[in-house]
Amino acid sequence: MDVEDIFSSRVRMKILKVLAQMGELNVSDITRRLGVNYQTTARHLDVLEAEDILQHKKFGRIRLYRLNERSPKARAIQTLLDAWKESGVKSGRQS
Amino acid sequence: MPQYQNVFKDEAKLDINYVPKRLPHRDRELRLLMEFFDFMLHFPGKMSQRVLIVGEVGTGKTALSQRFGVDMTREAGNRGTNLHYIHVNCREYHGSFFLILQHAVTVFHPNFPKRGYSAEELLTFLMQILDEENAYAILTLDEFDSLVLTEGSDAVYQLTRSQEVRQNKPQRLSLVCILRDMSAIGQLDASTRSTLQSNIINLAKYSKQQLIDILNERVIIAFKPLAVPEETIDTIAELAYSENGNARFGIELLWRAGKYANAENFDIVSAESVRKAISSIVPATKKSDLAYLNLHEKLFLLGLARLFKDGHKAHVSLAEAEQIYMVACEEFNTEPHSHTQLWKYLHTLSGAGIVKTEVSAAGPRGRTTLVYLPRIPAADLEKELWALLQWKGA
Repeated sequence: MDVEDIFSSRVRMKILKVLAQMGELNVSDITRRLGVNYQTTARHLDVLEAEDILQHKKFGRIRLYRLNERSPKARAIQTLLDAWKESGVKSGRQS
Repeated sequence: MPQYQNVFKDEAKLDINYVPKRLPHRDRELRLLMEFFDFMLHFPGKMSQRVLIVGEVGTGKTALSQRFGVDMTREAGNRGTNLHYIHVNCREYHGSFFLILQHAVTVFHPNFPKRGYSAEELLTFLMQILDEENAYAILTLDEFDSLVLTEGSDAVYQLTRSQEVRQNKPQRLSLVCILRDMSAIGQLDASTRSTLQSNIINLAKYSKQQLIDILNERVIIAFKPLAVPEETIDTIAELAYSENGNARFGIELLWRAGKYANAENFDIVSAESVRKAISSIVPATKKSDLAYLNLHEKLFLLGLARLFKDGHKAHVSLAEAEQIYMVACEEFNTEPHSHTQLWKYLHTLSGAGIVKTEVSAAGPRGRTTLVYLPRIPAADLEKELWALLQWKGA
């Protein structure tokens, strides 16, 4: 998938933002924070995991998602989101 | 802005959660605890351990286990072992096995979902996490009685036997259970009890001198130099000793007395600050108790209040008390009673919990009876007695 395809989805960007901020969350929690339905969240999580940007750990029925620390793409996204947040704080905007 | 006195250097050192670097009079117990877990440093995974720490409130159970946790984790880290010390207060989680295990899991995964699984599954998740991270955990269950009371034997049995169902896998979870007495253990069924009772560390109540040592250590790190005189420490130690040798009570009282000294803009924490502090946390003598005293008991107590009012004394001798009692008698135009009679008054006041007495060690002139005014601010007491005596005279 091309970079524009990844970044063109508002839901995917929100997932990345919330995981960059919280570190690790399960599917229900991400769904609640995004205000979308479970299936939509699950579908976008699969896309991001297939791109190696996310990884998950499984505990019984629970799946905990996080940015894949070993992935250069995930590290670049984390840097981008941190910089965005930082500049938002400086200019008094909420990111 | 006016400059206010601050007796504290670092009052956080008096916080209940502060883990001191040194634990006076608990070195032996700390060494024993380290000894029980020595295997974790040399061959982790080969075995697991269960230890009980038993002692009354304020005997240093929590401080001992937390100091052990810090030392053990650091030592294991130096040897390349991924050891986690997890301290859980069971009462804080209402003795719920589920919530206690959830706390343990959130040490590794802070956003672990709050529902959707059972306590048994949580225990499995905890073991899975330890396996995946090649980690070991010492789970300390503080106020263990609360867990036993709420969950009974089953939860404890599952915890103690969690290793046995994992055949041919490393032993990753050890337990430290902290409790006030062994009565909770008696409530467990025989097989659960047998898994727990092999290693017991009993913490005896602190003596007054030991409490003085503990308070002195805290004074050095928490207060400015010379801010807490010896007499003040002596008064607090005496009070903590009378509260069943409770060091925590003593440390909290030390902090509160410091706050009272600051509020009055003093540069030292006097024994009077301690009396004010204690009267704010334990019910002081009721006015009615004073009203029931006879005239000479009141006069004797008035003299004592005046002796303590300057704020610096922790105790006075009976001879000093007798001298000032005579002055009070003259003031109220009454003949002083004999020394023997004063002894009886002292006994009455001590029985009512208004004063405390102690016989000093033998000096060049023999033993002396020392009188303490531990709980009531001397100035308040003088005012109250003065009002009662005036009313009587009217």
